[in-house]
Order: sequence, then C-alpha cells, then structure tokens
Amino acid sequence: MALVAVPFVSDSRSLFILLTQIFIFAIFAMSYDLLLGYTGIVSFGHAMFFGLGAYATGIFMKRFEATLPMLFLSVLAGMALAALLSYVVGMLSLRLKSHFYAMLTLAFAGLLLVAAEKWRSLTRGSDGFTFSIPEPMRDRSTLYLTSLAAMVLVFFLLRRFTSSPFGRVLQAIRENEQRAESLGYKVVHYKVIATVVAGVAASVSGSLYVLTLRFVNTTVFSMDMTLNALLMTMIGGIGTLFGSLIGAAVIEWAHQFLTDLAGIHPIFERWIIFFGLLYIVVVLVFPSGIVGTVHKWLMAWRRKRLKAENGGEAS
Amino acid sequence: MNQLLNLIVNGLATGMLVFLLAAGLTLIFGLMSVLNFAHGGLFAWGAYAGVWLYAASGSFIIAVVGAVLAGMLLGWIMERAVIRPMYGNHVRQILVTLGVMLVLSEMLKVVFTPNPLKAEVPPLLNGSWEVAGVILIKYRLFIILIGALVYLGLLLLLKKTRIGLIVRAGVHNPEMVQALGINIRMIFSLVFVFGAGLAALGGALLAPYSGVIFSEMGMQFAILAFIVVVIGGMGSVQGSALASILVGLSGALMAYYVPDLSLAANMLLMIVVLLVKPSGLFGVKGGGA
Repeated sequence: MALVAVPFVSDSRSLFILLTQIFIFAIFAMSYDLLLGYTGIVSFGHAMFFGLGAYATGIFMKRFEATLPMLFLSVLAGMALAALLSYVVGMLSLRLKSHFYAMLTLAFAGLLLVAAEKWRSLTRGSDGFTFSIPEPMRDRSTLYLTSLAAMVLVFFLLRRFTSSPFGRVLQAIRENEQRAESLGYKVVHYKVIATVVAGVAASVSGSLYVLTLRFVNTTVFSMDMTLNALLMTMIGGIGTLFGSLIGAAVIEWAHQFLTDLAGIHPIFERWIIFFGLLYIVVVLVFPSGIVGTVHKWLMAWRRKRLKAENGGEAS
Repeated sequence: MNQLLNLIVNGLATGMLVFLLAAGLTLIFGLMSVLNFAHGGLFAWGAYAGVWLYAASGSFIIAVVGAVLAGMLLGWIMERAVIRPMYGNHVRQILVTLGVMLVLSEMLKVVFTPNPLKAEVPPLLNGSWEVAGVILIKYRLFIILIGALVYLGLLLLLKKTRIGLIVRAGVHNPEMVQALGINIRMIFSLVFVFGAGLAALGGALLAPYSGVIFSEMGMQFAILAFIVVVIGGMGSVQGSALASILVGLSGALMAYYVPDLSLAANMLLMIVVLLVKPSGLFGVKGGGA
C-alpha cells in the first residue's frame, strides 16, 4: 500500500526508476520461479519470452501511432507470440531430462538472438532502435503505477495459479516426477502449460521494460537476462512467488548501490563478482533463498516456543 | 578447390580446439554426471594465463604448461568447494557452476583489465607453407596435430590403462567400484582436475590462433563445447571428437558459403540431433542419466 503513495510524497527520480525496475523484474522473476521453483524445470532460454514482449512493444510503437490502445495491443501481441513459442518449444523439448532441456532452451534463445540480429529491417540488429511511447506513459509516476499494478496483478494471478489443483500437480512433479507420472498425471502436458504461463508473464515484463527505456535492442534476448531472473529467483527463495519479489528488489537495489560505490573503488564496477559469490553461497548454504530460510527459522522458533509452553503446562 | 581445402584445414583446426574443451566436459559429465557450466571459464583462464606467461617468459612451452597448471589448480579448488557438495543433484549443479562461471569471467576483467588482449604466435610456428597452391598455416596444422594427439592419448588412457578401466567402470557403477576398495571420490576429483587442465590447454592454444582474447570468450566457446557434447553423446570421447570436427567444418564452410546462417548452424544442428536422438550420436544412456 505504501508503494502506491510513493509518487505522491517523494519526487526522487532515482528512487522512482529503481522501484519501477524492481516491479518489472519482479514479474520476470516470478515467471521464472513458476518454472524453477514450482515445477523444477531449469530453463536457460527464458529471455526469449522477455525479448518477444520487448520487441512486440517496440515494433508496434515504432510502426504505428503510439497510443494507449496500440500499446495494449502490442502487449497482447507479445503475449500471444510468447504463448505460441513457449508451446512449441515446450512440446519439442520438455520430454528431455534437465540437462538436455537446459541446453535446448539455450539453443532456442540463441536462435532468436541470431534472428533478431540478422532481421535488420525489423529490428535494426544489435544497434536497436528508439521509439516514442503514448502520451500518458511519459509521466514517470504513471509508468510507476502501471508497473506496480501489473506486478500486483501478475502476483495474484500466479498465486491463484500455483495454489490451484493444477499448481499442486506441478509441485508434485517437482518433488518426484516418476511418482506424479505413475499417479496418472500427464507430466509433459502439465509442464508445457507451466511454460506457456511463465512465457506469457515474461513477455509482459519485457513489454514494460522497453517502455521504461523507450529503446530496444538485442540484449533483451541475451543470456544475461535469463541469468538475472535466475539470480533473483534463487536469492529471493525458489518456490515462493513472494521470494521472487524480494529477490528482484535485492538484486536491483544492490546493483544500483554497488554501481554507485564504483566511485569509491573501481572493484565495485565488477559488481557481478559479488553477485556471483553471493549466488554460489546461496546455492550451497541456503538453497531455499531469503524467504525460504527466514520461513524455516520462523518455523523452528515457533516450534521451540510451542514446546516450551507445553513443557510449562505439564510441570 | 584450393579454397575448399583451406576451409577444411581451418574447420579442422577450430574443431580440434573445441574438442579439447569438449573432451574435458564430456569426461566430467560421463563419469560424475556433472554438467560443468563453468568449463568455459576455465578455458578463458587458460587463454589469459597462456598469453600472460608467454609475454612474461618468452617461452611458448612454459606458457602452455603454466596455463594447464593454472586450469588444473582452478579446477581442483572448484571441485573441492562447490562441486563436491552437489553430487547427485543436477539442478543445483547447473545453478552453482553457472555462478562459478560468472565469477571466473568477471575475475578475468579484474586481474587482466576488461580490454581484449593481443596474443602472439610463437616465431617457430609463425608463417605458412604452400603445397600445390594450398596455403597451410603452420599454427593451424600444429593445433590439428595436438588435437589428434590428445584424442589418441585419451583413448589409450581410457582403454589400455588401469586408471582408464576404473574410470570406465565408475561411469557404469560408481558404488560397485567403491565397494571394490577404490576411492571413487578421489578418481572423480582427478578426472575433474584433468578435464579442467584440458579446457585450459584449449584456451592457451586458442589465443594465438584467434590473435585476440576477451573475457566473454569463455561463454562463447563453452556453448560451442556443449553443443558438441550434446551432439556427440554425453560421456563419449569418440562422439565428442566426431561432433567437434563436424561443428568445426560446418562452421568454416557455412561462414564462407552461407554467412547469414553460420551463427545459427550449430544450434540448428543440435536441435535436430536432440529431437531425433536425445542421447546424441554416440550416446548410450538414453537421454542422459
């Protein structure tokens, strides 16, 4: 709730931009978590859906009049493309085991990156292109509120999805694929639907992302984008949508913070090292991430207190 | 015709470099079932260490040997610190080695500046021969020779020695090997360190070949090596060799005849192979363990 009020009380430009970025990447990270955290699929090509949304919006805004209905249409187009692509990729590759699936998604994302670089008449290659955005969106606070609203909406939709019986099956697949299969669930069918939902959500974040930049180039398809989502999900805590929000906030904030520190010592320009190290530690020591670990501590603490209370009554 | 022969020599040389990288990867995967996403980082470190040592010592042999040792050291630390706790959990292995890859390639920028470095060909291998109108660049022939030697050496090591026997047995049934009183964990570590050394060797040899090295080269070549390992069949040295040559040749030929498709050629090749035969050309494990 407090976040809604931010534009009205503060006019710090950098805070605005930072928070908007956090909301957008939170959507992307949540969509990734649906795969990694809820279904146990490791994809290295999630950036392809992000990129599809980004390019759909960019191209629509460039080619047609930059109006709100057109923007809406571009987001829908991105979602449709992402749905189609994720369905095709999923059908082709989800039968493969984790390593092979990861490699195959990497290859598909690589193909899209190459396509975006080669189809210069549409994408201007790696130079990218700028475009204008609809009048109301030019106001930073409108864009901020839109991103916030989109994040909240996606959060509740995905929560609805993951807590539905369908989502439960996904978690069963994550825990034990063979058992889910032998219980009669068509595992591939469930996985494909999970990737389609995740792909569509990722394309929304891609659309919003280029809206803030008013510029799009092939980096939206790069491996770094997928890595971003992966880091956010892992650090925040996999298997909890809320963890993805936290992860996005931590990473975006730390990125900003460390880049600012670069003035003090040049080592901070290489902030990825710190992320990399932090990330390794998280995978090694706290595989459930910030939210998962805090949750575990809370549970342990509650159990201890419960035990103490019970012990007190007995005596 | 001469042009074609030239392309074939180039393609073979690239293929052999990729093979050095892929051989370590496939050994590690085949034995330990660890897909090491940091392999490209070791490769890039080998390249940088080689260039740096060559500039410092003036001896190409010292440079290459030093690079291999540096790679082995990094591999040893990696195996100890991050791989060992992760045995048997594929998803976490993928995640943690990816993190190591990030750190390794960023560390390169810290240690050796973010700018690309120039790499010199040693004078002995500089220049070329002309045989019947075909220009043979010495350094490329040298790489092909080394690649072939490594391939033969690996085959001999795996097929003819006791350690090879243990490694091959370990691929099939690590528990049984352990039960026979052989410390399979130690063998795992050795294989990992060995694979890391091969990656560094590939890097050190690549540097003079491409003339310039940069910190992102690790990821670039790692993807190529993964593609090769997947096409050849995970864990198969022969498969990797064959696939490396295929990838090297198709890359060289495509770059000349259909440049637009060349970037996508390897990806397409892998997609087709995976979809038709998920275990790769020489794969035996039926879609991976």
